[in-house]
This record gives sequence, C-alpha cells and structure tokens, in this order.
Amino acid sequence: MMRFVHGIAYLAYIGWAIVTGSATIVTRLFRPGQYAQPMIVEVPLRCVTDLEVTMFASSITITPGTLVTAIAAGTSTQPPVLFVHALFEDSEESALEGLYDMESRLLAMTRGRAPTTAASTVTEVEHEEGSP
Amino acid sequence: MNDAVATTLVGILGITGSLLMLFSAIAMFRVRDALSRINVFSPATGLGMPLIVAAAYVYDLHSEGFSWGSLLMALIAVLCLIIVSSVASNTLSRASVLSGQPVYRKTAPNRLARPPAGIVDDDPDYPDHPRAGA
Repeated sequence: MMRFVHGIAYLAYIGWAIVTGSATIVTRLFRPGQYAQPMIVEVPLRCVTDLEVTMFASSITITPGTLVTAIAAGTSTQPPVLFVHALFEDSEESALEGLYDMESRLLAMTRGRAPTTAASTVTEVEHEEGSP
Repeated sequence: MNDAVATTLVGILGITGSLLMLFSAIAMFRVRDALSRINVFSPATGLGMPLIVAAAYVYDLHSEGFSWGSLLMALIAVLCLIIVSSVASNTLSRASVLSGQPVYRKTAPNRLARPPAGIVDDDPDYPDHPRAGA
C-alpha cells in the first residue's frame, strides 16, 4: 500500500520535473549570455536491481536538462555508476543533490520506504577502487 | 462540453505542444555538441508530443463523444511516447559517447574523461596532489 502511495508521488514528481525542466530550457533561450553550462557528473548508485537502475536511468533521461551518457556495471565491492550529462546546474554538488533526491523517491517506491543510508560519494568509490 | 471551451482547449494544448517542439529545435542551435543536443530535445518528446496527443484526444472527445477506446488509446500513446523517447535518448547518447563523438571542450567537470591506463597524470608543480577529474 505504501508502495502505491510512493508510486503516485513519484509519478507526480517526475511530471513536475519534466514541466519545470522544459520551462528552464525555453526561458533560457530568451536570456542573453551563456545558454548552458554542460557537465558530466559521476553518480554512484544505491539502486541494486536491474529494474531500479533501468527506471532511474530512464527517469533521469526524460527529465529535460539531464541525460545518462554511460552506465558502468557494479561489482561485488563497488556500486553501479551512472555518468549523467547535466546542462543547467550551478555546480557538481547541486547536480548530485538533485539526482540523489530523485533516487530516494524512486527507492521509496520500489522498496516501500526510503533508504536510510546516505549515498557513497565519488571519492569514497575511487578510494575503494584503489584498495585490493 | 460546448464549442468554445473545446476549441480553446484544443488550441491551447496543441499550440503549446507545437511551440515546445519549435523552442527545442531552436535550443539545439544554442548548444555546441551532440550530447547537449540530445539533452535539450527532451522537452519536445517528454512534454510537447504528449500535449499534442492530449489536444487530439480533446478534439476527438468533442466531435465523437466519450468512448473508453479512445481514452485508452490516448493514455497508451502518452505512456509509450514518454518511455520510448527516454529509452531512445539513452541509446542515442550512449551511441554518441561510444562512437567517440567529441564532447564540448568547456564541459566541466567531465567525469567520463579519464587518462588512459598507465599514464602518470601528476602535476609537476604539485606532486602531492594528483589532478582531480582530469
């Protein structure tokens, strides 16, 4: 039952993200100066199953302004990683914050409750890569 | 539903959808590389085309009357447009990266660009701090 409620909330959230993202792309057309600030950020995932990763990647891509460019499969020691192309974010931190917010809502839908652990940061993942 | 309301609704939905397609196309000229062009086209596929489908459904509702068949068709069309355009954008962007399309040089940070294995990527001025995200 909670999953159903979270699912409706998630659909509404995605719909609102599509509308606001489209508005950003259109309104910035009429503003002078630099149009976009492209960046490619690395997002270590808390999603585990194929369904969660696929739904998260599709949700990111359908939101105007963010686009999944590459997916790295997870191993036993490190999580799967998405590389996301973001156009209108101020900094890498704000881009990651928005993406993790979306991921928390998605996991609340698939698991029935929001994950309690915080997402591991890129530096932690790179540290684990170095250790045998 | 009377004529005026139906005509206004069809006009608002259809023209908004068409304008979104137009502005997405203009935005594609304002960005510089293939990835950004795929990125700024998503208002057209994610919002513009569903709005045009909604306009067509309202027109159908007004001229033919309500039927479950056309409602089902409209809902499936909107759902499929969103899912298909999302998966298609994913596939396009991955194909563009894997085929080695150049990424706009001012893309910063670019976490996809890693030095090839075996290359020592230390800044000689600061040997203790390897360059982050180079």
